[in-house]
Amino acid sequence: MVNLTIDGKEIQVSKTATIYQAAKEAGIYIPVLCYAKKLLPYGACRVCLVEVEQMKGRLIPSCTTPVTQGMIVNTMSAEIRKVRKTVLEFLLVNHVVECPVCDKGGECDLQDLTYEYEVVTNRFEGEKFDLPKDEVNPLLERNMNRCVLCGKCVRVCDEVVGFGSYSFINRGFETKIATAYDRGLDCEFCGQCVSMCPVGAILPRPFKFKARPWQLKEVNSVCGYCGNGCTVTFGTKDNEVQTIRFNDNTGVNDGNLCVRGRFGYSYVNSKERLTVPLIRVEGELVETTWDTALAKVTEGFRTAGSQLGIISGARLANEELYLLKSLAGAVGTGNLDHSGGECYKGLTEGLQPTLGLQASTATFPQVEKADAILVIRNDFYETHPVFGMVINQAVKRNDAQLSVITDKKGKLTRMPHARALLHKPGLEVNLLNALCRSLLDEGLAKIEGLQGLNEFQESLEAYAVEAVATATGVAADAIRQTARELAEAGNAAIILGYGLPYTAQSRELGIAAANLALLTGIAGRQGSGLYLCGEKSNSQGAIDLQILPATGAMGVGAMLQAAAANKLQALYIAGEDPLASYPDRALTEKALNKSPFVVVQDLFLTETAKQADVVLPAASFAEKTGTFTNAERRIQRLLPGIKSPGQAKSDFAIFQALLAGFGASAPANENEAFAALAAVTPGYEMVNLAMIGAQGYVWGGETLVPETRNLVPVAGNKELKARFQLLVGSCLYHSGTTSLHASGPMSVVSEPYIEFGREDAAELKITDEQQVKIKAAGGEITAKAKVDRRLPKGVLFAPYHFSSLGLNRIYQGQAAIAVEVSK
Amino acid sequence: MTEVAQQETQKEVDLTAANQILDKYQDMHGALMPVLQDIQEAYGFIPEETVHLAAERLNVYASQIYGVLTFYAQFHLEPRGKYIMRVCMGTACHVKGASRIAETLKDRLGIAHAETTPDLKFTAEYVACIGACGMAPVIMVNDGTYGSMTVQKMDEVIAKYKNMD
Repeated sequence: MVNLTIDGKEIQVSKTATIYQAAKEAGIYIPVLCYAKKLLPYGACRVCLVEVEQMKGRLIPSCTTPVTQGMIVNTMSAEIRKVRKTVLEFLLVNHVVECPVCDKGGECDLQDLTYEYEVVTNRFEGEKFDLPKDEVNPLLERNMNRCVLCGKCVRVCDEVVGFGSYSFINRGFETKIATAYDRGLDCEFCGQCVSMCPVGAILPRPFKFKARPWQLKEVNSVCGYCGNGCTVTFGTKDNEVQTIRFNDNTGVNDGNLCVRGRFGYSYVNSKERLTVPLIRVEGELVETTWDTALAKVTEGFRTAGSQLGIISGARLANEELYLLKSLAGAVGTGNLDHSGGECYKGLTEGLQPTLGLQASTATFPQVEKADAILVIRNDFYETHPVFGMVINQAVKRNDAQLSVITDKKGKLTRMPHARALLHKPGLEVNLLNALCRSLLDEGLAKIEGLQGLNEFQESLEAYAVEAVATATGVAADAIRQTARELAEAGNAAIILGYGLPYTAQSRELGIAAANLALLTGIAGRQGSGLYLCGEKSNSQGAIDLQILPATGAMGVGAMLQAAAANKLQALYIAGEDPLASYPDRALTEKALNKSPFVVVQDLFLTETAKQADVVLPAASFAEKTGTFTNAERRIQRLLPGIKSPGQAKSDFAIFQALLAGFGASAPANENEAFAALAAVTPGYEMVNLAMIGAQGYVWGGETLVPETRNLVPVAGNKELKARFQLLVGSCLYHSGTTSLHASGPMSVVSEPYIEFGREDAAELKITDEQQVKIKAAGGEITAKAKVDRRLPKGVLFAPYHFSSLGLNRIYQGQAAIAVEVSK
Repeated sequence: MTEVAQQETQKEVDLTAANQILDKYQDMHGALMPVLQDIQEAYGFIPEETVHLAAERLNVYASQIYGVLTFYAQFHLEPRGKYIMRVCMGTACHVKGASRIAETLKDRLGIAHAETTPDLKFTAEYVACIGACGMAPVIMVNDGTYGSMTVQKMDEVIAKYKNMD
């Protein structure tokens, strides 16, 4: 700690603090333009100049100058005021002053400072910037005539996002912020640059001319898309979410968001939302009242009894899931499941037998301090973009060694010194086994206290490093080096995402990752962690609340099979669109056709809802009270920003009404429901709502210690022999199928595509945007081609979000699909 | 960018040479400048394809490379002529009529500053003082210097290089 005096006030701060940070901590105001809490100090704008007694004769930039013992700082004097005003005058020489029509007006740092320093006239004259606006993309408007060259957008895109869209180009007066070759933006559109820009140079285009900042009401809630659980601050007006506001004071995400979090909110305002219950009359879905709809549903469920199958989405709040489970009990069925029933098995059937857990063992912020990181599947970045940004910061700021077991390249493999273990599709488990084998061969494994070592060692007979290297196409040295780094690192992380398009070998991957976490000592060690991250906003909550088949009852797969075979009386699907998003569409179609009574509860008239007998209009995350548990076990509170459209009700209210129909009691509100669920959910016992603060509450603590330490043998996969292999996965801009109703993500990726590597595209003479046909067992699909640099030869990729592609006609949950390509 | 140059850069670029250069510097920290210099040496300019290749292989962003390329005057993003005609615009040459020399170049070859003839033979460059004020107005053609230039002498010099390969 260091003692110093700022404006006569004696202050004690960490010796790593800068003068600016020390002043801020002490509540002393110093103006800044180029400083941001989450970026490294830069010192570009010179408005934070202060006087330091010990450094007389010149003014000192407070944002880049570290504090020293006994320092005496003055943050304001006639001289400082004069110099700051001059700096502002210089900035305003070229800056185009168009505040009346600038969306930044009212929260513009330059506008505020100009006012504060009374820069009424300018002693200097010069050319105004006259640069063309970047009008190419629909989400980010860049107006470089308003730029003050603080470099925050350049830095955030590098230091935090890791995409590197921007750079300073040219020299002198010509200097400006631009992309490579000064073209329009072609990036992730996460809008981090929007959140950082101190002026109106980069703005969210969907928010243009919607509202002045002071007209917006702000409500903090949790993003409804992925398991990252980022805080989103709604800016609402006229009962619509107008924009997502920048907020780096709450939650896990430091104010960072991805394209979905920042621009994907608009589906809640969609005119296509369901607003009244629908009921099937003479083959047609017609509008009805809640009373009629609920009576029909209650009657149908009562008739079905134990023959009812309940399929839930993983975006329902904990309180709602708790009620849904109660409802299953009241109806008398154990057939309850979520998320396709397959993809989460890495937790339930992978981590459970090995570690005795069903959750990640550590929290996201810990990864920033990791020395070695192993990511399994590059897609992890696409499903959990903001957690991916934490990895980028670990690599860039703390020199973490990143290794990626993946079947395609991508942002993670492009990070500095990243090691890509680029393997043939479907062979992740083989590589994980080889990593374990390498640890044991080299005597690096931490085997103390591990059960089942002998049997495990025998099972690795077939996974000698050289053999796996040959089979997977990865260099043996890369495998060995990765194993060594993970074993020797002080802090290490193993990270794997899961979700609907990643059902293949989910159980095996969980076991293999857990085995590796045990042998490296990562599981349960302070500062290290094994992360299995669910695709949806409450995937972890659904596991915690055991939205899983009861013993002897059916999971999703079995339910659909049974329904297709006329052995199920009714299906209740809440918050899922299985026809669009589950593997094996033929099975789902048959199940929906044959099932005598189908109830769908959703925001939109989804493809599945169109097949239903009763459709119940539900509320979106922006209209709800409740809690989500994110992929690091952090329980966070949802607060409603707007009211639901029409007669739509929250899932909570719908379940309450149905429970009442069965004469079962239900908690009166979400808060009571939380107390009730906490009492019966392992890990939640001691939690109450008052404990869930701005940073949420992580059940089980920052580090979850494994209950058991069992090594479990697990078999790898066989290489698929086919000239062309199609991978199914998630694409960065979308999450599940909900984002297809959001204009932001849709404006970037509006239609399905088949991605080709450059080599294959050249060989097949396929160019961007060209229509291609993909034929496989189960059918043929057609889409536009997208040629990219990510894919190795012979490997194709298709995102699973778009039902119109019909991908699940040929995707039945395989790791890779053998396909034929034609034009 | 002139239309010709644009067509040229959009042509398939043979990346063998760039890959060899990158092999040499692959694991060296801070190797971007020598890599770009060597690429320019090999190709005569920096083709866009090589920028993306270097970005991928050195794990730096293409935008950063572009920032470096536009910061330094030594890098060229368009194909350049075999003969670089540098017209000195320094004070002495200016006084002695450098603008007429530049005009002559423009008139005879159709190229102004930073432009290249369609046959990729000549590139014009207006430069500040080249340090030969005693010979003003002066031009350089690659490494050769020609002093006390007149319109007639310009024609001779242009003819000389036109007749060379």
